[in-house]
Amino acid sequence: MNTEQPPITLSIDNRTVTAARGATILEAARAHGIEIPTLCYLAGLSPHGGCRMCIVEVEGVRTFPTACTTPVEEGMIVRTRTAQIEAMRRDILQLFLTEHTSSCLVCDEKAECKEFMPTIRKSGVTTGCRYCPKDTLCELQAVAESMGIDRIDHPIYYRNLRVETEDPFYDRDYNLCILCGRCVRMCQEVRTANVLAYKNRGRNTIIGPAFHRTHMAGGCEFCGACVAVCPTGALREKARAWEGKPDREETTTCSFCGVGCQLRLLVKDDRVIGSLPADDPVVNQGQLCVKGRFCNTELVSGYRRLRNPYARYGSIPTEISWDQATALMAEQLATCPPEEFALLASTNCCTEDLYVAQKFARVVMRSHQVDTTARIFYGPAFDPYLRLLGRSVPLSALSAAEVILAVGLDSRFGRSVVGVALRRTLKQGIRLITVNPHRHSYSLLAQIWLQPPSGGEAGLLRSLLDRVQPAAAAPAGASAAGRDSDLGEAARLLRESKRTVIMIGSEFMQCDGAAEILAILTELADATGAGFMPLPAQNNLVGSLTAGAYPEALPGGVPLDDDAHRRLAEQIWGVPLAPAAGSWNAWQLWAGQRSRVLYLLGELPPTPAVPADFLVFQNIYPPEPYCTADLVLPAAAATESDGTFINGEGRVQLVRRAVPPPGNALPDWEILCRIARRMGAAGFAFTSAEEIRAEMGRFSDAYRREADLARRDPRPFHWGGRMADTRPGGRAETAAGPAARETYRLTVSAVEHSHRGFPLSVWVEGSRMLLTEGMLEINPDDAAAAGIAPGDPVTVVCGDAEMTWPAKLHRDQPPGTLHAALRECACIRPNPQTVSIRKAHV
Amino acid sequence: MNPPDTPTAGAGTDPPDYQELFRQFKGQEGELISILVRVQETFGYISEESVRQISQFLRLSENQIFGVASFFSKFRFDEPGRKSIKVCMGTACHVHGGGFLSDTLGWQLGITVGQSTKDKRFDFQRVNCLGCCALAPVVQINEKIHARTMVTQLKEILQNRE
Repeated sequence: MNTEQPPITLSIDNRTVTAARGATILEAARAHGIEIPTLCYLAGLSPHGGCRMCIVEVEGVRTFPTACTTPVEEGMIVRTRTAQIEAMRRDILQLFLTEHTSSCLVCDEKAECKEFMPTIRKSGVTTGCRYCPKDTLCELQAVAESMGIDRIDHPIYYRNLRVETEDPFYDRDYNLCILCGRCVRMCQEVRTANVLAYKNRGRNTIIGPAFHRTHMAGGCEFCGACVAVCPTGALREKARAWEGKPDREETTTCSFCGVGCQLRLLVKDDRVIGSLPADDPVVNQGQLCVKGRFCNTELVSGYRRLRNPYARYGSIPTEISWDQATALMAEQLATCPPEEFALLASTNCCTEDLYVAQKFARVVMRSHQVDTTARIFYGPAFDPYLRLLGRSVPLSALSAAEVILAVGLDSRFGRSVVGVALRRTLKQGIRLITVNPHRHSYSLLAQIWLQPPSGGEAGLLRSLLDRVQPAAAAPAGASAAGRDSDLGEAARLLRESKRTVIMIGSEFMQCDGAAEILAILTELADATGAGFMPLPAQNNLVGSLTAGAYPEALPGGVPLDDDAHRRLAEQIWGVPLAPAAGSWNAWQLWAGQRSRVLYLLGELPPTPAVPADFLVFQNIYPPEPYCTADLVLPAAAATESDGTFINGEGRVQLVRRAVPPPGNALPDWEILCRIARRMGAAGFAFTSAEEIRAEMGRFSDAYRREADLARRDPRPFHWGGRMADTRPGGRAETAAGPAARETYRLTVSAVEHSHRGFPLSVWVEGSRMLLTEGMLEINPDDAAAAGIAPGDPVTVVCGDAEMTWPAKLHRDQPPGTLHAALRECACIRPNPQTVSIRKAHV
Repeated sequence: MNPPDTPTAGAGTDPPDYQELFRQFKGQEGELISILVRVQETFGYISEESVRQISQFLRLSENQIFGVASFFSKFRFDEPGRKSIKVCMGTACHVHGGGFLSDTLGWQLGITVGQSTKDKRFDFQRVNCLGCCALAPVVQINEKIHARTMVTQLKEILQNRE
């Protein structure tokens, strides 16, 4: 809007109104409370003028222009409600209804039906038609009712299209589609995912991806933005379809990754029925990914949520009260020596929970043996990765960048909000260089796609660095990628760019070369002055450090060997701290070191053979069959407790209690406090997350009491200590297999899309299709050569060990390579390694 | 059911063909329709592989390309049959039972208008006038016009053309 030019004065319905130059008639009318019906118009999308509902009469114009596409002019005289226009609108709307099932609008029994719909029968009886899940939420219905349409004068032409239910998370019934094009514009203009397009022409027009592909095959990110803008019931969420109107909305922070999107949780009857993006200007800007949009609801509202504590007597799990549970816990812990206690926490918990957890270990148990699974996820790269957090730049740096280097980043399902921001900046002419062995979501968009061979990422980045550094302008040796011109061009772009952002995905994080890759990237950043966007996969990685939930770190994220900080902790807690822990960390659990009591705070046990005498399992869902927990404690999910997360940028974000926890479940911190109080420990009398934050504020700048914690600018987290990498030694790579069979390069990665230890695919039905784990991804050509069909069990022979996984054929997997996302990936070393495969059971 | 996960059969056309074809274009979005026309001239139809190749060349999504291509009735997306059968539906042929001919042909070949038989022998289309109304009703197979075709002759005509 141009503010320098004077506003335009025009007349709408005999009222003199003013509007900014360039505004449309519709915007001018709505700004002055004059209602014009619309169906295809949506603020934020380009005007479409397709539904013809907003036609108006403009004096001196022969036709009836659409208000949503016509800009205002000085002295314009507009009428929106003449008898002629109303009649035309009714006629146009009736034409819509000839194709659209309209039993909810046009029915002889309508008046009686409404009157008798509520019955006094005791049993649940359905009265009235329920044809469409959008009933009472439908915009077409609202417009038709406001115009008083009660019959259709044209012949009915029902398209009789198949309802498409094959994709996860949402169904499509294009019989209800009015071709308003909101979803297409959303997908193309806002999300720039370009999955939806109009297909065919005239009355055969339909919306969807190319050919007869499913959305899954069409490259859909399942962000659900199209579903949210659909005015009718054509696009419907599988999980929310028949829920009706929500009672209220609650804004909170998403708990699935380190981006920290703001959510609007839809609540009905104290139950989360859905989540929509909040219109947050700084982080997600009204966008979400599939996890935030769809997985939230299914995860927190699952019927198998834990409701009561239970203990195992012999082999029989028995429900017990909180009183009995804390008593049992206190009894076990009272005799547990500090070095035999271990607490493994999840980085999905709130900072407050993690703070209380480490305080519990340090004050009550006098032990520093508290750790999170982030150490396992990042493996050897954990310490270098934490150092990168200190150099992280906010998401807004993307739009100011000249060159973006995305290393191992694929934003189709995870972090797709960042993908949207990135694609938006690409439209402004920013250069994108991606490093990825697979075809990924930026393959078509990147100016340069450096495709390293599996395991050759470090080599490729090293030769890129050599070319960027002016000292070694002449390329030395052959590059690992063998694509010299691309590499040279990438180096030139990086050299010439003044503002570079390096984005790091989790593609290589589990590879043995990850530490080296991060070291090279750090050097590259030093050489080019680039900022980092580490984009952690864990939503509260920074928070877990700020809370001090590591054996090497105290609250405030200060190393344990910092004497001043130790004294501060002793002063605040009023107890002397145990001397620095030995070399214990979470890797010991993976190596099978036994502990007396293992406390799993929102985590799954490291191995099926649990290395503990007494296993406490505190989570939102029951342990999986193989985990024989001695005591199971029901925790509140992120939507059921107050707290804070700190995202990858270092931004403190509020988590709000939207609904009460199911049954007798309690927030994590409260469970720990109850146990501590039972054991007679002082300093655990917290009654709210606010009180815990106040105590954390004495340790950490991030929680220093200030007017508005959540509105502050992000403060990158600086890690000054050293995280030990004591991974158990893996199998050494044998140079040649026993028989000279076809060999493949196998890479394994940790399951990235998990929450509180559970891979999302365990509790969220739709994500089973999207986010595969425990499958061997193989190129279709390789699979055909080896006679492997999708789903066939395939035995992978590496050295003298054999593992069997079902096959998943994936065209993006480069030939000659295999990939598996595994929960126990940390144990498979080296990574990548050379293996041979064969079909199992043959 | 899920194309990226299943091997694509029939991706047998050599990539060099496409490289050759794209050489005369600059790779701008506005060239999409010209490229589609060239692809259809070269391969006879627009295959999934063609769309993928164009997508990589123009850096446009396959879905957008298909959206544009499917708007025009000129473009076809399945492999044409070796012999093209055209049934005239012009006024004279229509009056003389062109619709009946067309329906019968469909039953005999087991396909509907716009499709080609599974063995790719015949390709079945309706056209609006072949310009020989005096011979109505008319069926054209490749270049040969069959005049005053009766439904009972269709089987014979098809057999003779094999």
